[in-house]
Amino acid sequence: MKITLRTWILIIVLIFAFISIANFSAFQPGVLVKSVERNSTAFNEGLRPGMIINGVNSEQIKNLNDYTITIHGLFLNEPGNASGKIRLDITTNKGEFIFYTKNAPEIVVSDILMTKIKTGMDLQGGSRALVKPEKPLDTNEMNDLIAVTSNRLNAFGISDVTVRPVTDLSGNNFMMVEVAGASPTDLQDLVSKQGKFEAKIGNETVFIGGERDISDVCRTNAECSRIEACYPSQDGGEYCRFSFVVYLSETAAKRHADITSKLGINTTESGRYLDKKLDLYLDDNLVDSLLISENLKGQVTTQIQVQGSGSGKTREEAVNDAKENMHKLQTLLITGSLPYKLEIVKLDTISPVLGKEFTKNIMFLAAIVFAIVSVILFVKYRKVKITLAVILTMFSEAFITLGIAALIRWNLDAPSIAGIIAGMGTGVNDQILMIDESVSNTQIGLKERIKRAFFIIIGAFFTIVAAMLPLFWAGAGMLRGFALTTIIGVSVGILVTRPAFADILKKIQE
Amino acid sequence: MGKSWYDKYYRILMLIPIILVILSLVYVFSFYSQHGDVMFKDSSLSGGTTITLTGDIDSAKFDSLKQDFPDILVRKLSDVRTGKSIASILESSAPPETLKPAIEKTLGYNLTADNSSTEFSGPTLSTGFYRQLVIALILAFILMSIVIFIMFRTFIPTIAVIFAAFSDIIIPLAIVDYFGIKLSAAGIAAFLMLIGYSVDTDILLTTRAIKIKEGFLNERIFKAFKTGIFMTSTAIAAVLPAFFIVTGLPDSFRQIFLILALGLFSDIANTWLTNAGIIKWYADAKGIK
Repeated sequence: MKITLRTWILIIVLIFAFISIANFSAFQPGVLVKSVERNSTAFNEGLRPGMIINGVNSEQIKNLNDYTITIHGLFLNEPGNASGKIRLDITTNKGEFIFYTKNAPEIVVSDILMTKIKTGMDLQGGSRALVKPEKPLDTNEMNDLIAVTSNRLNAFGISDVTVRPVTDLSGNNFMMVEVAGASPTDLQDLVSKQGKFEAKIGNETVFIGGERDISDVCRTNAECSRIEACYPSQDGGEYCRFSFVVYLSETAAKRHADITSKLGINTTESGRYLDKKLDLYLDDNLVDSLLISENLKGQVTTQIQVQGSGSGKTREEAVNDAKENMHKLQTLLITGSLPYKLEIVKLDTISPVLGKEFTKNIMFLAAIVFAIVSVILFVKYRKVKITLAVILTMFSEAFITLGIAALIRWNLDAPSIAGIIAGMGTGVNDQILMIDESVSNTQIGLKERIKRAFFIIIGAFFTIVAAMLPLFWAGAGMLRGFALTTIIGVSVGILVTRPAFADILKKIQE
Repeated sequence: MGKSWYDKYYRILMLIPIILVILSLVYVFSFYSQHGDVMFKDSSLSGGTTITLTGDIDSAKFDSLKQDFPDILVRKLSDVRTGKSIASILESSAPPETLKPAIEKTLGYNLTADNSSTEFSGPTLSTGFYRQLVIALILAFILMSIVIFIMFRTFIPTIAVIFAAFSDIIIPLAIVDYFGIKLSAAGIAAFLMLIGYSVDTDILLTTRAIKIKEGFLNERIFKAFKTGIFMTSTAIAAVLPAFFIVTGLPDSFRQIFLILALGLFSDIANTWLTNAGIIKWYADAKGIK
């Protein structure tokens, strides 16, 4: 059987779609590093997201299960050396990393996926926040906001996050923050709090958050960043105090010296302190007041200890709350405040558990739809060849659409998948039309009859594109996926699969 | 060819969908005067919170929440195959800051990313969102009309197609309103899709009846009907499983398919009774045989 040019085009496009979808690194054993906690030991040794771990110490790592068992075994059973640290030899596709650590490496790993198809937040779990600035922003201002927000989320240790501007039909602009997979509980605070940090003595500002005044913040070193102590609180719970060291820039340190030199000294039971406190403000709220010891008066010091607290019903809760607050404060001090006041207008947090269930059911649904359509077509035409041709075309269309989605790194959410299925529906309709035209018993030639079918098909194509276009902009583009996959699907249909199907049909009919 | 039954009765057949459309319009208008809107909107369009709890939870547990949140709605999502409850969905106009602690208190455990999903839409955003989707719907309708007009370049057949598309939207809307279904953003997107989805049979009919001149008009209409009805039934068979066989799907997903199914059903009547009738009338008047 001679394969026509248009069928070749279909075959070639299918091959391209396969290349775009398949993840060829899935053929090697191992686990994929999804994120590495910044400034952790693993990070400092050079371990990065995207690497594939295939061995830990002498154990071979084939999948996530192997990794979990090995790491658990190491950190639960091994005594470690004198300092309690354990030697880790991590073998990856980018080389070997050796380091000593007390705790399991602060990295997130996953099995290597077979495909490069990305699913949306509603199917894989995660969070999405749509944030509206208090005043309309121009492109530059929006980019500033996005830069600061991304920086803040990264500094906080949230990986796999995208921050992008969105505009809706009425010209409002928003910032869309999407975090895949895990849902950080602090997302709301991190994206909506302006995070304006000020350290004041009296009315004078000593330093503010951000790199102008702060050269570094101690975060992972327990020597200078820790939970100090916990106490029972008045309401029957517990509260814990934390402290960490902030390194000031030269100018901020000089400012500190100037301001403190003017202060007097108080003598109290616990020691001698300056007569004004260092007040810490976050978004204009006083969060803490620190006593300044006498020997700092007029000193150009670049190291300042910052303190704060956290509370909870139990000791454990209080410690965790304090740790979280410390982490947030450290993040805000490093990255500085957001340039605008913000309001969260939409916040969705989807459980990965539910998403998994949904994904499984969607696959099942797709299989059922394929089966039902095949049966109907076979009952109607009673020809295996024709039924197969329609089913294969339907499958090709969905496959190529997925390939394009993978290529443009589109996150397929539930509406996007509904769009693919709807696109397949119009595809089948078009093919039924072509079959009916081709078998119609008239004097005119087969070519002419198929051409006639194409007039209807092209008309239907343009109406569906016209109907879907407005969705690209309506509602901050939340339903863009639905419109996009539908339009890709029908375009693939009209440009690639329909012409090929016409040729295949001619072959079958002859 | 003598007068067939279709020649005799097509005008009466034509009236059936028209009456349905008028009834739907009346219903939607009375719905509007009663509720101030043409549909019930879910929290993504009216503002509020939707919390989805995974696992099988006794709905009676949530009764106590009605005191503090009078507008709270509880639904269960279960798998039709196993009958197993997959999740409970709670919806209220209250923000998550107040709703979440109340649910946690009722359940006796904390809500985390592992056992729940929370979706919140601010009221200002939702209102704007809804208005834009309605504008999108109108825009889609206008764009579709232009495409149809360019295709046929004649007034009556174009109007017939546009009327069918309009009816395909209004009848499902009335049904959805009648059953008190709260529409989500995805649901409105499905109405847009319906515009594109439903007109292909109308294009088929108009093309076969008017553009092509072989055989008799009635034969051509009947041939178009045979093809079209098979197309639409296949499409209905493809969208219904999302409703009856696989039910553990995201709400947005199921609503899209429900509305497509309703639209396709009404499309059968609107295309093959009304639109075909108008086309026949038009062709007879123009002397097209």
